[in-house]
Amino acid sequence: MATTDESTGTWFGADGQVSQLRGLLFKAGCLGATLLALFLVFVFLVYVAIDAIEPGTADPAWWATVATTVAGPAIVLSIYYYRFAPRAGEVAYTALGLPVAATLLAGGVSIVFRHIVSPHEWLALVVASLVAYGALEFHGRARDAGALERVVVGAAVIGLTIVGVPGLVPSLRTLLLSLPVLPMAPLALLGTFVVPIGVGAGWSVRRARESDRAGLIAGGVTVAAAAIGAVAGPVVGVSWTTWLVLTTVVGVPVGLYVERVYRGGKGVSGLALPVALAAGVVVCAVIVETAGFAGPDVWIDWEFLTSAHNRTPREAGIYPALVGSVMMIIVVALAAFPVGVGAAIYLEEYAPTSGLSGSIVELIEINIANLAGVPSVVYGLLGLALFVKVGELRPGIVIVGGLTVSLLILPIIIISAQEAIRAVPDSQRRAAYGIGATRWQTVRTVVLPRAMPGIMTGTILALGRAIGETAPLLMVGVAAVVRISPRSFFGLFSAMPRQLYSWAQLAKPDFYHGVLAAGVLVLLVVLLMMNGTAILLRNKYQRRD
Amino acid sequence: MSDTSIEADLTRSANGRIAKERLYHGLLFCCAALTVFVTISIVATLAIDALEFFGRVNPYAFFTGTEWVLRSENPILGILPLVTATLIVTIVSALVAIPVGTAAAVYLSEYASDRMRSVLKPALEILAGIPTVVYGFFALVYLTPWLQGLGLDVSLFNLLSASVMVGIMIIPMVSSISEDAMSAVPDSLRQAGYGLGATKFEVSTKIVIPASISGIFSSYILALSRAIGETMIVVVAGGSRARMFDPSEPFANLLNSGQTMTAAMVQAVTTDLSGGTAGYYSMFAIGLTLFAITFSMNLLSNRIAARYREEYQ
Repeated sequence: MATTDESTGTWFGADGQVSQLRGLLFKAGCLGATLLALFLVFVFLVYVAIDAIEPGTADPAWWATVATTVAGPAIVLSIYYYRFAPRAGEVAYTALGLPVAATLLAGGVSIVFRHIVSPHEWLALVVASLVAYGALEFHGRARDAGALERVVVGAAVIGLTIVGVPGLVPSLRTLLLSLPVLPMAPLALLGTFVVPIGVGAGWSVRRARESDRAGLIAGGVTVAAAAIGAVAGPVVGVSWTTWLVLTTVVGVPVGLYVERVYRGGKGVSGLALPVALAAGVVVCAVIVETAGFAGPDVWIDWEFLTSAHNRTPREAGIYPALVGSVMMIIVVALAAFPVGVGAAIYLEEYAPTSGLSGSIVELIEINIANLAGVPSVVYGLLGLALFVKVGELRPGIVIVGGLTVSLLILPIIIISAQEAIRAVPDSQRRAAYGIGATRWQTVRTVVLPRAMPGIMTGTILALGRAIGETAPLLMVGVAAVVRISPRSFFGLFSAMPRQLYSWAQLAKPDFYHGVLAAGVLVLLVVLLMMNGTAILLRNKYQRRD
Repeated sequence: MSDTSIEADLTRSANGRIAKERLYHGLLFCCAALTVFVTISIVATLAIDALEFFGRVNPYAFFTGTEWVLRSENPILGILPLVTATLIVTIVSALVAIPVGTAAAVYLSEYASDRMRSVLKPALEILAGIPTVVYGFFALVYLTPWLQGLGLDVSLFNLLSASVMVGIMIIPMVSSISEDAMSAVPDSLRQAGYGLGATKFEVSTKIVIPASISGIFSSYILALSRAIGETMIVVVAGGSRARMFDPSEPFANLLNSGQTMTAAMVQAVTTDLSGGTAGYYSMFAIGLTLFAITFSMNLLSNRIAARYREEYQ
């Protein structure tokens, strides 16, 4: 650069006239490429929403009512938050998203209590698990047992209390179920589901407010709300299961969040958004009802969510597939989470780094990274060979599908859990070793609590992947149409993506632009909520560090 | 809660504590070892059934046959049509994903403000979280009619819209891994470039991209291996008729339906072939081929990525 032009004697570039055009074009091109991908998918999503909702079929007056009572206030409030109160804006979107996500979760929990474990089975399971835990703890304190004895005792206790030996010894769980006098079903659920959650809520309020009284009030209110609702609910037409699940799964997190916002005193005005929206919906419903405006002819309605597949498009629904997906996710979570986190702990905290065993561990790590890239259809073949041919299980049942998908997401969970564990500062481990903790004590009391948000983020993302997987389910023989929800983990099932694929194969316009679009929307809403929760969790946790 | 349990643990005798440590060590090791078991069982189960297949079908005829007709009686099993369709999907999706993904990575790593990045990165992540069967639905129900509207003579099931959709699906993969590689380039290199009077454009294209080229390539390889193994998009939008690549009219291959290796596996298992036929066992042979290809590509990509990590740390 530092050369002069012979003819004029000035410095090149000294007048600041380097052309910016090329650089600006490049920048615009890069931005355009990024937005192009997002825009294309956004357009597809808009099309799906239009197909599923069919906005053209509604009265213009209906849309006008919705716009003035629901959309208008929301937009005005959003602009206010954006311009004047960013902190309240954050509160507003969390306060809006939390009830929605919690309601979805509540739907999942209701499905669990309706189809998978009845309240009495849940009671028996909880009591048996408590007995097992107590017995193991007592054994650990009373005797200086060797590793082998601990394994044997652990297996024996779990076998006697929860699993049982088929045909020989019934487990404590089945014994409890066969008792002549069991508490009424609502009471059983109240005692073993609501009370623990109420205690948890009370505990967290007590710690946050540093007051026993506040904790007692919080726990008491939870249990009382659930109990009163369980009695009064059936009178107004809400079943007691729905009421119990709603108060605990939706009420408790929302209540805790509101309490936290009030306690912090920052951005309290953000709570106005969900309240305004709810009030708007009520007002809108009243006006529409009295004036008789016709709403859009939506495909995605309550009937779609609660009925089974049908050859008539308007009567087809997704319910059995929804139940199947919930059951499959339970299997996946129970199988993949403990093993994945265990493997990650071993690789990060225990594994030797040098010598022959060090290179074996390195091989394991490379292997895990590669397994994460193996096509899902190959995992399907593995599941077919391993569980159906060798394990001689029936093709297409929940446990086969769930275990196959667990193998698929295991490497993803391991890799993300490893990253979360690696992010825990070494100084904390050294401090724990310094006060004489053993390796396991350090892991359990120092490393795992710090790494848990990261591990949960990775697990939720992986479970989201599991919900959307189709190819492995096809390979293990999940049936195209299942009209009855599975009754146990050994029953035939269908899952949401599998059902979507069956509809795509029908090749009828009504299915393409109606039923299929509605199904895609349901699947995407579930996934969006899961991924959104995971990303929020991660952002919060990263900011704290 | 945690300090009381530490206290309780510390007051127990050393013997019990050591036993407990060994127990947990063993259990956790089993969890890690399970992943090796998964790999071994993939190879073993696929190999056993593939051998069974090659006992019935001549391997030479299988790997050089140019026709694929799957049926219970006298199937014609030549893998080349499936391989060529897979190659078409991979190449077209790479043509979509590599330029767009790289440009997105450059923007996110070099140009985007913090605020922009905090919006775009989660958005791309959500893109990556959409299930592939949904992408297949997009391709079949919306993209194919659009292509027809543009005047392209595509059939209802065609490889073009399937491959473009596979390309869109792997964009987030290319962009996020490439961006990691570009962000790993030390700032001192950029500042040296500015010190010499380079513009931002020159720093991006002549310093950052060459310095992170191994990471960028590893993202390409990973994305291509994902495209090769992609199943649901091609099953839903690509059709289920295997066609041999016709070199006389290269573009006509794109406009017609075609069947990739993965789609053939799905067809073999979903059509009611009785368990013992050669057609049924063919999917294990295809699966083994697919596993070998993707596993070696992932291995290569990891080796390349490991190199750039060492370079700058």
